[in-house]
Amino acid sequence: MNPPSEVEVGDLDLTSGLLLLLNRALDQAKPGDEVVVTGTDASLIHDLPAWCRISGHEYSGSTAGEAGRTRHRIRRGEAERLNLPGRVEWGAPLTLRGGKEADTRDWFVGRSAAIPEAADPSTGFAPRGGMVERGAPAYPFTLTERDRVWAAEVADLYEQATANQWDASRDVAWDRRGDVPRELEQAVCQVMTFLVENEFSALYVPAKFVPRIHPHFQEVVMFLATQIVDEARHVEAFTKRALLGGGGIQYSVASTQLSLKSLMDQEEFTQASFLLSVLGEGTFLDLLRFIETNAPDPVTAEVVRRARVDEARHVNFGTAHVRYFLRGNPNHAEELMRAARARRETLQTIAAPSPLVQDALAVLAARSLSPGAIRSGVSAVKGLMGEMHENRVKRLVSAGFTPDQSEELSTMHTPNFM
Amino acid sequence: MEQPLRLGAVAYDPKAVTIWELARDFFRSRPLPLDFVLFSNYESQVDAHFDGFIEIAWNTPVAWVKAQSRANGTARALAMRDVDVAFTSKLIARSDSGVSSPSDLEGKTVAIGSRDSAQAAILPVHYFAQAGMAEGRDYTGLRFDLDVGKHGDTGTSELEVVKAVSDGRAAAGVVGDATWAKLLSEKGVDGNRVKAVWTSPPFHHCNFTALPSLSAERAQAFVDGLMAMDYADPLARTLMDLEGLKKWVAGSTERYADLADAMRAQGMIP
Repeated sequence: MNPPSEVEVGDLDLTSGLLLLLNRALDQAKPGDEVVVTGTDASLIHDLPAWCRISGHEYSGSTAGEAGRTRHRIRRGEAERLNLPGRVEWGAPLTLRGGKEADTRDWFVGRSAAIPEAADPSTGFAPRGGMVERGAPAYPFTLTERDRVWAAEVADLYEQATANQWDASRDVAWDRRGDVPRELEQAVCQVMTFLVENEFSALYVPAKFVPRIHPHFQEVVMFLATQIVDEARHVEAFTKRALLGGGGIQYSVASTQLSLKSLMDQEEFTQASFLLSVLGEGTFLDLLRFIETNAPDPVTAEVVRRARVDEARHVNFGTAHVRYFLRGNPNHAEELMRAARARRETLQTIAAPSPLVQDALAVLAARSLSPGAIRSGVSAVKGLMGEMHENRVKRLVSAGFTPDQSEELSTMHTPNFM
Repeated sequence: MEQPLRLGAVAYDPKAVTIWELARDFFRSRPLPLDFVLFSNYESQVDAHFDGFIEIAWNTPVAWVKAQSRANGTARALAMRDVDVAFTSKLIARSDSGVSSPSDLEGKTVAIGSRDSAQAAILPVHYFAQAGMAEGRDYTGLRFDLDVGKHGDTGTSELEVVKAVSDGRAAAGVVGDATWAKLLSEKGVDGNRVKAVWTSPPFHHCNFTALPSLSAERAQAFVDGLMAMDYADPLARTLMDLEGLKKWVAGSTERYADLADAMRAQGMIP
């Protein structure tokens, strides 16, 4: 038992702040300890006993002192105001990067630094490192294992994402389109239509998983939130480019819809991240570079260039997560191989990219419809396919697959690019 | 398995269903399971108890006194909440009313709660009369007879009392200390305008009442179950928070004598 703690409350009564001071003292005290409240309000002699009774404490009497000051003795009861499993300790401070910046990469300090191997669903939305009252409801988070969501580089990628946001209404030089021949403008509109539908899938798929991820993996949730915003901006920018010359949104083909739906149908985050970000968005990097190189106007070149920078981050996150997931566990590689094979089964009717997109890309590379130009345009698209395969294999190896696995995975990848 | 113990309680609020369902769940894993019956008023519950329809009644102090009077002093109080021990009534008054004790009530209007509430009517009126202040003769009662039959459980009449004092319809009023403390801590009253000026002698409040027909074993099994509820256990805590207690304590037949006198004087028991 501790010596009595003294609480000086001046002329406060129970409605004006006395309870704040008293509860702080009671929270620090142990059951059986005495807390002495000294104050001048005459009604305390009636109010404190009543409050003690309903709050589980014992009012043990009062002594009148000088100048209307009365000492009220309270013995702390056993009941805790909050049903906490313990108390939080003072932690380590966040060190400012360069003495100025509170960088996310540096915030792994104190209790918040520990990324749990398995997170407890009953901590709900309580932040990592905090103390959670007992009796809170369990949340329906299903992604509670670190291996199934984490990436070692996630804080770094999140910092890159927040530093590189752009405004699709104002940052793009929309007035610099100039004169684009009708057949090229039509090809741009068809390509933009295809990009928008693919970007929708890249928005919806991570969005579907965010509510399933335990908040103690908050860096992953935060990164995916930037990815979702990025994709919304890409949908916006590509739609605007399609509308800019009057051609507008063009055709969507069934094979593209089938391919994208097979991503939406994924129920495992790691598999979805692998198929969407490593294979799909990875392939998209080459596609966007091809469009930029062959763009008939500076606006088209700019929107795909800006989108490619964002997509590279998404690919990096997906690759980093898969690398984390695979490290030293051959069964995990086999799990992802199975997912890719299953998707290949679903997409077996798709033998080639959308003919409309293939043709539009060839026209952009040809820059005209003359037979000679078209020959080189078609050849450029063939070259793109080869390049996509080579780069996919490199990315898969960097994610931790063997060269043989990488070759097989890349060959199985959907001809739809995403 | 033994026949579940049948307990009676009054549905003074929809949460009564939640409370007793939780209690039934809690007792499911105990040696003697529990079932319950809800009544709309305490008079029916006391009747049902004497008819043998329920074995234990969760009674207000007024219902206890009625039962004890009918049982000629043979009823037992098995257990009660920690907050039922040493309950008090408060005389509250407007700061500008000049009322600082019951003797200042002469010529004043005093707000009084439901006529069947021990804390908000029966006892304070009785104590004032003992101090020479009779309602109707020395002061005017402003009565709020709300939810009669529930013995003040709903607390609605006490809130009306506080409102009447706050807005000046009454110079003073009487409330139970539990309602008063809750209003103070939730800042539901202007502490500058309305102050507590008098506290009644302590009396015990609700209890689990048993009649001689209940076996000592069944009574003990029930009490053991209550005592096993731990405020640190989240499930028990839900029930205990809803019922407003931190722990169950042993029942006591003392500290109901003043209430019995008051009820006799007010014609509520023979």
